[in-house]
Amino acid sequence: MSGPASSPAARAPLAAPPPLSHEDEDRSADRSRVFAARRGNRRWLLLWLLLGPGILAMLGENDGPSMISYTTTGATYGLGAFLPFTLLTFAMAVVCQEMVMRVGAVTHRGYGELVLQRFGRLWGWFNAVDLVFTNVITLVAEFVAIRVGLAYFHLPAGVAAALGVVLVLYTISGGRYWRWERIVLGLAIFNGLFLVAALLTGPRWGAVGHALLTASPFPGGSLSTLLLLVASTVGATVTPWMIFFQQSASADKGLTPDDLRHGRYDTVAGAVLAALFGCGAMIAGAALATHNGAGIQGLAGAGFPGALSHVSGHAVGAIFALGLIEAGAVAVLTISASTGYAVGECIGAPHSMNYSARGAAVFYGANFGAAAIAAGIILIPGAPLLSIALNANVLATVLLPVALVFLIMLANDRMLMGRFANGRRHNVAAITIVAFVALCGTAYAVDAFLKAVHLV
Amino acid sequence: MYERDGEILDNYLEADQLWSETSRPLPRARLGRAATAGLWALRVFAIVLSAMVIYVFFSQLGG
Repeated sequence: MSGPASSPAARAPLAAPPPLSHEDEDRSADRSRVFAARRGNRRWLLLWLLLGPGILAMLGENDGPSMISYTTTGATYGLGAFLPFTLLTFAMAVVCQEMVMRVGAVTHRGYGELVLQRFGRLWGWFNAVDLVFTNVITLVAEFVAIRVGLAYFHLPAGVAAALGVVLVLYTISGGRYWRWERIVLGLAIFNGLFLVAALLTGPRWGAVGHALLTASPFPGGSLSTLLLLVASTVGATVTPWMIFFQQSASADKGLTPDDLRHGRYDTVAGAVLAALFGCGAMIAGAALATHNGAGIQGLAGAGFPGALSHVSGHAVGAIFALGLIEAGAVAVLTISASTGYAVGECIGAPHSMNYSARGAAVFYGANFGAAAIAAGIILIPGAPLLSIALNANVLATVLLPVALVFLIMLANDRMLMGRFANGRRHNVAAITIVAFVALCGTAYAVDAFLKAVHLV
Repeated sequence: MYERDGEILDNYLEADQLWSETSRPLPRARLGRAATAGLWALRVFAIVLSAMVIYVFFSQLGG
């Protein structure tokens, strides 16, 4: 075990060791296995034990609205510049999430807590309110995705709402971070269904290779649609909730500076899997492009499973529908968890999955409450499902620069990070990403707003 | 070391990882005027853009 001196956030040694809380005891039990694996040089076991927050953040963000956004892009433009653009956005996500993991492992504190304590209550609460607002909207979009998937099997909206809420209750009922993480990881693997669906549509691999290597053909048509899909694709890979979630989960898992290398493996593995599955959704959607997107207007514009079934067969439609259910369900779990972490951190209430429900009522209440509110909203008849899904991502893109700027400030904070603070190259990459995200969000918002008020 | 269910176990957490330490607030960072002004500009930017996106969403619903 690395001593306190290895961590710059460490305080002076205490005269007598403080009593361990229940949260500490559970985390210590988890860490004992990490130490045993490291001592025994059992590399694969060590990797297995330390994987989690990065993969969950990345696959959690391959959520319902993101997969609908990728599929819409494929159905609108076919295979072209958006395919390599999606890979670029995942590279951006790795830069951001590596910083998040590093800050969490070094400080052992969540993002919301650090912003609030280092920069004051005003900035802390601004960030938390942004997050809760976008999370509730995004959660609505997740339930929309579950509803779209279940509708393919002729199941009503009520089943979608109940499924999401029951899953949240089940996963948080154990009072252990490890249990929660492993259940959600098990579900997240099924994000690969989008890749299976893509393979079954019989994609033209020559066109896929051409698009990846040449970033062409460049999309034509309406500038507004293009800007919406660019902003939506950016919002499909890097979002405020991922920042809150991965940092808090890294701290809750008990990562330390000794685990940074494995934390990076975890983050990169998540990005590779998410990029592969996201591109799968886009390739599946491209099967609809050659049919002029026929049939996607079902269920207020989000009827992709039905349309794919019509074009590529029932198996593809069913697999895509199951993929949407998985994408929505995993994101409901991770996004509601990020809401719980943010609220708990800002209020100063206990915020760990290692607490019982009674010990962390605010944390679990916010976690469950956010999911329950979103579940209630999707039961409203006639909701514009596709529009909600795409706009949830755009809103996340617009609010992301603020969250990223605070993240960069924290990652450069020498008092917190010591020798683990950002280097120059990291800062250049991170600031470029902030500028790019801000540009994408601004371009869409200004163009769409001017059109909405009939000024252009 | 700590006792749980009558068993004496080793503590595998770093000192600054314990709840007693992480629940202790950190000192405030000092922000210069330029940094504060930049953060406020970013905040206003985010609010204005969010309002635009929300307006567009509702106007599309009406249309």
